[in-house]
Amino acid sequence: MGSNIAFRTTTTTLHLAALNVSPVPESPDASLVAAARAGDTGAFGDLYARYSRMVHGILLARMPPSEVDDLVHDVFLRAFARLNDLRDASRFGAWLGTITRNLSNDFHRQSRSRIEVNQDFSEVEIEDRATESQDDDDAIAALEAIRSLPESYRETLLLRLVEGMTGPEIALRTGLSHGSVRVNLHRGMQMLREKLSDRASAGPRGDCAPEIK
Amino acid sequence: MHDDPKDRPANDEYLWDRSGEPNPEIQRIENLLARFRLDAPALEISAIAVRRESKRRKRLILTRWFPLAAAAAIILALGAGILLLKPKTSPISPSQSGWDVAWRSGAPQVGTEKIRSGAVNGKLGVGQLLVTDARSRASIQVSDLGEIDIEPQSRVRLLETESGRKHISLERGMIHATIWAPPGEFVVDTPSAVAVDLGCAYTLQTDESGSGILRTSLGWVGFERNGHESFIPAGAACPMDGKAGPGTPYFEDAPEPFRLALYRVDFGSLPPDLRAAALDVVIAEARKRDALSLWHLLSRVSDSERPRVYDRLAALVPPPSGVTRESALRLDPKSLDLWWNEFDLGDVEVWRHWERSWSQPGVTK
Repeated sequence: MGSNIAFRTTTTTLHLAALNVSPVPESPDASLVAAARAGDTGAFGDLYARYSRMVHGILLARMPPSEVDDLVHDVFLRAFARLNDLRDASRFGAWLGTITRNLSNDFHRQSRSRIEVNQDFSEVEIEDRATESQDDDDAIAALEAIRSLPESYRETLLLRLVEGMTGPEIALRTGLSHGSVRVNLHRGMQMLREKLSDRASAGPRGDCAPEIK
Repeated sequence: MHDDPKDRPANDEYLWDRSGEPNPEIQRIENLLARFRLDAPALEISAIAVRRESKRRKRLILTRWFPLAAAAAIILALGAGILLLKPKTSPISPSQSGWDVAWRSGAPQVGTEKIRSGAVNGKLGVGQLLVTDARSRASIQVSDLGEIDIEPQSRVRLLETESGRKHISLERGMIHATIWAPPGEFVVDTPSAVAVDLGCAYTLQTDESGSGILRTSLGWVGFERNGHESFIPAGAACPMDGKAGPGTPYFEDAPEPFRLALYRVDFGSLPPDLRAAALDVVIAEARKRDALSLWHLLSRVSDSERPRVYDRLAALVPPPSGVTRESALRLDPKSLDLWWNEFDLGDVEVWRHWERSWSQPGVTK
């Protein structure tokens, strides 16, 4: 919504500004944070819309996929409850990323053991998977491969390849520099290719890996 | 690939921001991984997320106090069982026939039975629950009704199958309904409102607290709770809330500021000056087509706000003969119905007929 406000010149601009600005915003995120702090749940909803994919991607880098959707909501609830602790509202994205990683750590501390992606299916689902398409296996193989990469590569790659964010958008949301995101994408993709290539040549299960050209 | 200097810049640019020549390898991985994406529409999800706050907090607390939670769950389950078995107050009758449930993916569960790929259809009996987990989908096909697709993470209970009264409850999750039964015959209960098919195809999504959204793709749908009505024609959507019930419907192609301001008028606990500002945006941004939303707003705003909404609505779609400013401002039902019919979005008499025919004992409304 912030971008809509910025480019409007009609009286609507004033009204929209009145909705979101208290006090004068330093950035669109800061204005939404200010409105949310003032109790405007709609503004917090806008922040959710803006950052939910980033949170989802970070969680997917560390959590079983079936847990991720619920935990996205938990992350935002935790953020909502702690919004007054955020000192620099323009750093909302980086702050939210930290909350996301902490919540993921809490989850693993509470779990007896780490659950791998390919263990995240019930017995019945595993049976069904045998009859489902090759693409399902390929998708799981690709996700497993990304999750085995170093943290910064795996998060950035998941934001790009799963959540569909572009490099500039990843930089904007996470607070990373363009250069760091470029490096993470480039090196991460290189390592992913190697892993998928190893998998493809490893045997029967490797046949499921996406084709490397 | 990186050994080929000719390919490298273009591929890197595609990886960076999808500009340049698309890289088939990356596209293939993107397509494979898309199934893991958070893909729900942002606006509606944001509404759900914020509305779910209190419930989610409760869940976190319950997780920490698991023994108490387990005891509470047992009590709740027993209570639910007693309610379901109670013969006089429930519309459920064991003599009524069930509906066929077809497998679509995963392992949807009907009662205690799981439906597998390649197996014969399951049978959903009246009173029984159809449950899909994160990877399961199912479809209900009824020759004199239509088709209902049940998406993952859903719970659907069959309540009635009588002629002229097809009734289910969506306790949580998402369904896509394509209905060819006569208007008013197919009804879906949700935790926050009742959706009535008025000749249409639509998607309904809710969580356990009743927060969710209804989107109509064909015909129109009526949405009701305790006399709080919303009519949702094709191309429109209507959010809902566990406490407030149905929100104000809007066309999905409406300007974003209009939709967001409308959402805040509906559900935002705004101080008076911000509420007035939100209403200003709604009025300023409304197109002729958005008479749909303004008509609904008439009966949802305060007495002091109503004249402004009336003036804008009258400017967009002049009230027909028989509707005066005075009658509209005092929310005279006949006047509002007459004005609604001017929009050519569906004859409101179809809805009134449903209200009369379903206002019988045993019908959840």
